[in-house]
Amino acid sequence: MSADVALSSEQRIGVLKRLPLPASRRAYAALFALFAVSLCALPSFVSGYVMTLAVEAMIAGVFASGINLLTGYTGLVSLGQAMFLGFGGYGIAIGTALLGWPLWISAPVTLVVVAAIAAPIGAICTRTRGVEFLLITLAFSQMFYGAAIKLRWTNGSDGMTGIPRPDLSLLGVSADNPTVFYYYVLAVAVLSLLMLWRIVTSPFGSVLVGIRENERRMMSMGYSVANYKIGSFALAAVICAVAGILQSQYTYFVNPDAMSWQMSGEGVLMVIIGGANVVLGPFVGATVFVVVKQALSMITEEYNLFFGIFFMLVVALFRGGVLGFISTPIGKRQ
Amino acid sequence: MQPFLIQLLNGVQLSMLVFLLAVGLTLIFGLMNILNLAHGAFFTMGAYFGLVVANDTGSFWLALLIGPLLPFAAGFVLQFFVLHPLAQRGRSTHLDLALLTFGLLFATAGAVEHVFGSAFHSIVTPDLLKGRVGLLGMEYPIYRLFIIAVGIAIGVALVLVIDRTLVGATLRAGVDNREMVTALGININMLFALVFGFGSALAGFAGVVSAPVMSIYSSMGIGIVVTTFVVVVVGGLGNLKGSFYASLIVGMTDTFAQAYLPEAELFAIYILLIAVMIFRPQGLFGAVGRVA
Repeated sequence: MSADVALSSEQRIGVLKRLPLPASRRAYAALFALFAVSLCALPSFVSGYVMTLAVEAMIAGVFASGINLLTGYTGLVSLGQAMFLGFGGYGIAIGTALLGWPLWISAPVTLVVVAAIAAPIGAICTRTRGVEFLLITLAFSQMFYGAAIKLRWTNGSDGMTGIPRPDLSLLGVSADNPTVFYYYVLAVAVLSLLMLWRIVTSPFGSVLVGIRENERRMMSMGYSVANYKIGSFALAAVICAVAGILQSQYTYFVNPDAMSWQMSGEGVLMVIIGGANVVLGPFVGATVFVVVKQALSMITEEYNLFFGIFFMLVVALFRGGVLGFISTPIGKRQ
Repeated sequence: MQPFLIQLLNGVQLSMLVFLLAVGLTLIFGLMNILNLAHGAFFTMGAYFGLVVANDTGSFWLALLIGPLLPFAAGFVLQFFVLHPLAQRGRSTHLDLALLTFGLLFATAGAVEHVFGSAFHSIVTPDLLKGRVGLLGMEYPIYRLFIIAVGIAIGVALVLVIDRTLVGATLRAGVDNREMVTALGININMLFALVFGFGSALAGFAGVVSAPVMSIYSSMGIGIVVTTFVVVVVGGLGNLKGSFYASLIVGMTDTFAQAYLPEAELFAIYILLIAVMIFRPQGLFGAVGRVA
């Protein structure tokens, strides 16, 4: 028993040592640049179908990145992040269709409103931890899902259509063109990633990792752990809302299904596949997920069955799952 | 007044149904620290297996008896051969296992849809419980009263078993000090798997019991399991008596919201949950980690 404890505290020190050093940061930046360049070149090599998948993967990647901030870095596993995906979509739908605002006002206002809603929700949810946190985030998302189905002025379960893509006529192109939309999504995804990277490499990000590894120690070091958790929750929500905006622009509509329980689960699954604790991880996970989902939809109509089996396999085979996954490479190094 | 009374009884009836699910979920959590998100899958399994038995034999009572056996076996196998071996290896076991059971919930819904299609089914109410009975100047279906009676009977029986029998004492000891129980020569893994199976069987039992009043369909478990989560969190995770009271509170809230405030129907219970989380995050009836 005591040997276990000693080992895990060594592992914890190992994790803290792994926080980005300047050299690894430069290597990371190079990798990141390579990744971005190859994505920029993608449209000239592949068919429209592959580009559709790439757009879906990038949107899902932004969504999973938001979850990763909360789950991978702060150690809070949520099954309700899809509500913020829905908030993003509904936000710009309400802004543009019901209030008649232009997109460039609706989108930032949506993100600010999402942050303002997420902070009190986070304040309530982060009073709990572990499975109770998972359950209460789930309950919140189910509540908003129920509200979205019932609300008349957002067309209930039918959802809202006619969501505009950005007006890029100044650049002489139309975002309705798939290639142009691809670059738009790519730009937003890269921006979100850079922002996320900035967050997790900042002192704020280190405190989040500290909370994940040893909350009591962070508390006794004088950090206001509760506020950091709420901050992490709100930032994660904003990133998920960005994905929601992209998703609704991609499909030109939004409906309550965006907030479903399954959507939240899919996001968590992408984080597990890609590996929490790595900025690019969720994008890798999202790509794998989107490709597998496409392949499955070609061979079977029973999507739920295979989604469930796939989910179980990933959780069972990636040793330790969400949180334990982080410790695996360190365990190997020792 | 009469509509109010009918709603009241409907509320109790829903509460008892949810209690049958919540009790298994909370027992499993209290004992094994596993949040079984797939609990709704066992509800579905029980209902469909009961449906098959009822269609083959024409007997509701046989369905009620045999229906829970499949979820029992499935729950036992899941705990003994999948969850327990995984728990031996992981670090943050309870979250991993919760996510694994999340996958199982959807896999079951998908598998059921594959076999039975997406149509709605129902089991016919048995002759003995057909019809209505006069009660305080109104008529009320006998079958719904039967559900209420079954829920109360199972609740009482469980409290007696856990408080007064050797099995119950072993369970309580297992919660308090697992190693000591093992040292006393009790095969705790077997005991846990049996309890897991029993909790799953209760969920399956609830599935058969609900079949004459609610429809049987492939994703029936996914809807009700969220209500069950609300119950166990409001009652305090792992708290058996708490889950009984919480079932009543949640069942009533849901029924009365549907009757008198239909706009709030889909989220009344979540508002209740959030209110509880703000004021008592450990649940109304506190004491996490207790079976009784």
